[in-house]
Amino acid sequence: MNILRLFYFAGIFFYLYLPISVLVVNAFNLNKYGMKWGGFTFKWFTAMLGNHSLMEAARHSVVIAVCAASLATMIGALAAIGLNRYRFFGRKVIQGTSMTLMMAPDIILAIAFLVLFVTLGIGLGFWSLLFSHITFCLPFAIMTITGRLQDFDPNILDAARDLGASEKNILARVILPMMRPALISSWLLAFTLSLDDVIISSFVTGPSYDVLPLKIFSMVKVGVKPEVNALAALLVLLSLALVIVSQLMLKEKKNHENTI
Amino acid sequence: MKIDSKTRFSIIVLISGWFILFGVIPLVLLVITSFLTMDPANLVRLSFSLKAYSQLLIDPSYIIVFIRSVKLALITTLLCLGLGYPFAWYTARMPPRWRTSVLVLLMIPFWTNSLVRTYAMRMVLGTQGILNKALLSLGFIHTPLRIMYTDYAVVAGLFYLMLPFMVLPLYATIEKLNFQLVEAARDLGAGAASAFIKVIFPLTLPGIMAGCVMVFVPTMGLFYVASLLGGARQLLVGNLIQQQFLNARNWPLGSATSIVLIIFMAVMLIGYGLLLRRFGRGKGISG
Amino acid sequence: MKTRFKPLIILAAVLLLAALQAQAAEKIFIYNWTEYLPESVLEQFTKETGIEVVYTTYDSNETMYAKLKLIKKDGYDVAVPSTYFVSKMGREGMLMKLDHALLPNMKNLDPELLNKDYDPDNAYSIPYMWGSTGIAVNTDEIPKEQITSWKDLWKPEFKGKLLLQDDLREVFHMALRIKGFSGNTTNPKEIEQAYLLLKDLMPNVLLFNSDSPRLPFLAGEVSIGMIWNGEAWMAREENPAIQYVYPKEGASFWVDSFVIPQGARNPKGAHAFINFMMTPEVAKACVEEYGYPTPVTPAIALLDTDISSSRTIFPDAGIIKQGEFQNDVGQAIEIYQKYWEKLRTSN
Repeated sequence: MNILRLFYFAGIFFYLYLPISVLVVNAFNLNKYGMKWGGFTFKWFTAMLGNHSLMEAARHSVVIAVCAASLATMIGALAAIGLNRYRFFGRKVIQGTSMTLMMAPDIILAIAFLVLFVTLGIGLGFWSLLFSHITFCLPFAIMTITGRLQDFDPNILDAARDLGASEKNILARVILPMMRPALISSWLLAFTLSLDDVIISSFVTGPSYDVLPLKIFSMVKVGVKPEVNALAALLVLLSLALVIVSQLMLKEKKNHENTI
Repeated sequence: MKIDSKTRFSIIVLISGWFILFGVIPLVLLVITSFLTMDPANLVRLSFSLKAYSQLLIDPSYIIVFIRSVKLALITTLLCLGLGYPFAWYTARMPPRWRTSVLVLLMIPFWTNSLVRTYAMRMVLGTQGILNKALLSLGFIHTPLRIMYTDYAVVAGLFYLMLPFMVLPLYATIEKLNFQLVEAARDLGAGAASAFIKVIFPLTLPGIMAGCVMVFVPTMGLFYVASLLGGARQLLVGNLIQQQFLNARNWPLGSATSIVLIIFMAVMLIGYGLLLRRFGRGKGISG
Repeated sequence: MKTRFKPLIILAAVLLLAALQAQAAEKIFIYNWTEYLPESVLEQFTKETGIEVVYTTYDSNETMYAKLKLIKKDGYDVAVPSTYFVSKMGREGMLMKLDHALLPNMKNLDPELLNKDYDPDNAYSIPYMWGSTGIAVNTDEIPKEQITSWKDLWKPEFKGKLLLQDDLREVFHMALRIKGFSGNTTNPKEIEQAYLLLKDLMPNVLLFNSDSPRLPFLAGEVSIGMIWNGEAWMAREENPAIQYVYPKEGASFWVDSFVIPQGARNPKGAHAFINFMMTPEVAKACVEEYGYPTPVTPAIALLDTDISSSRTIFPDAGIIKQGEFQNDVGQAIEIYQKYWEKLRTSN
């Protein structure tokens, strides 16, 4: 039974890691088509760095991901606080919209955004991309942060109010610092979501702002490109780093909670 | 108190404004677009028409794409469930130290760009890919299997992308499961199978359904998986919508397709909610 | 308070950086078919003129057209539609009139390819490359003698094995020619007959690919299908077994032309680019890289004889006569489109 279980886990992980490993290995493979091992090389990494448009798209993607993650986290934090602390007309509608945005397939958001931008006459490029990315990251940010908010001891907030703190001060001095771990994980989640998005970006960006997933898409549709392997290997490393960082953060949070 | 209400007010305005502008209005516009007339020279003509819907619901070829898409998403969901359930189960029953490592190992591919992973799948499944190479050299087959550009390749790719979405909610439910209930059932003479059917399955049903929804819903839209791994057949509703918007320029039809998709999803979600509620009440009575 | 503003400051800095870098150099935005312009040529252009090139690709005329329709301002500076799309886009006011005074290299062009029906006096377009669509066969799998006509693609033994171009005009051309009609027909009856014939072909089709049809051949995924002559030539460079066949019913010939869309932000740079592309050395580099014939006549003399004498790249007069140049079909394109969509969704 135990051996069976071991085989089963090994099988699943084999399936999950085989494609990625093939990619990473091929990033160092001198043989262009990656069907055979042709020797070790860094050539494709140099080629990747020399590929001007690829690097430009990568820069765009990082800028968008950083901006979208930061803004989505900020707005998400405010929204989480607002939805949790305040009772107001339309609160249910906002919660419903947030839910819908989270559950709807990306393709539907993509065309909805496209129709919006065309109707409003907003050119497709940096801004349309940024607004879309913030919006689709927002529900996830709200979810992450709300989870943390609900763990709060409401007595602390009451105490702050009793001591004469204004709403603004309660937000700035009490709630925000307590939310920090959630803000960080929300940021990381939004960053990954933004960097990973193909579907929405392919609808809402224009010639002036090509992003990495679209560039990769048009490159891999054509076939095997060793530069893409190199880039993919880098992205795998990046996600590895992100997972490790978020794990450390989680641990820190737990330790922190334990000390309280 | 004046400042207080100002802070409160600005927060409410910001979030309501954002969700209305980027959440409600786009969806309303989408609905409106689906009732307009297609105009070959411009995007749409501003005159009411039901043509998009009649085309969608009468022309069998669109219905076929829909059915095919549902079938593919269903197969993917069942595969994820079948292979993901034991994974979540055994992981939840591991010592905590192991648990984190296993979950991290699951998350690393999940955090890697999904397009890159789909592309990687191509190198595995190709006629001259790793899989065929291995099978050939082991002597299991004599001519390479044709997997690329078939539905199998698409399902393999979708399963690869969606598995974590099934495992994580399952894991969350199973972890919270009171294992003493299972033991009690076994002590009372239930076999492994009946303990699973009568106790474990109902208790983990919320996780199962959450996982199924999280896999099933996005799957129908993942057009790039079908266009990188699939062949000539139009497989997913996502491809159909993308085609209408970015190639055939029939926005009303594309919008109508997505509205039908939304309604389909909504029915599913409501069904899920009802089931969950009914199931919850049932538990309340028996407990 | 300090920590609260840090992310804001970082964000502002990033935004500023992004905005600043966007306006750094003079740029042109080129929108072209996948694998259709050598990277080295773009680099040389930047070196000579100081104009940076932002290069994006598409895989079908329809996608290009849809994108251009969508982007009204701040769009692409150069696009490369095929013949019939030049006239369509010109009619719909999507193109800028070219300033021939800025294009002195027009003198290098083959007069046979200028002043055509689709664009009288070349008001909107300058031919970039031309070529043909025929059949590619991997002779390791299928003997070349067996494949002589478009009709051969319908053979039952190719079930689920065929590659077709993702291009409605080219796919319909094939069926129309088998039926003995013109590939440019506007007769709805004839188009319908072609559609019915194509319906029978669908079970044979494994995939549609207009990005780079040679790659599935090179990867061993397909051994027979439609292909452009240049792609076939490139494929043969890597695998000599892949051969190009001009079908006896006649290949489809096409011309792809540079145009400047309305809403281009740097028309002057676009003219400079188009003019640059008509220099013989540049045209020569394009032929050598992609194996399509060029309208720049002086470039042909510069080519190695194995290229300039290749029948795959430069078909002889008889083959051209047998085939047919793609032309504008006017409103009939909508009939084609309707049937095309039926084909793509119904199989």
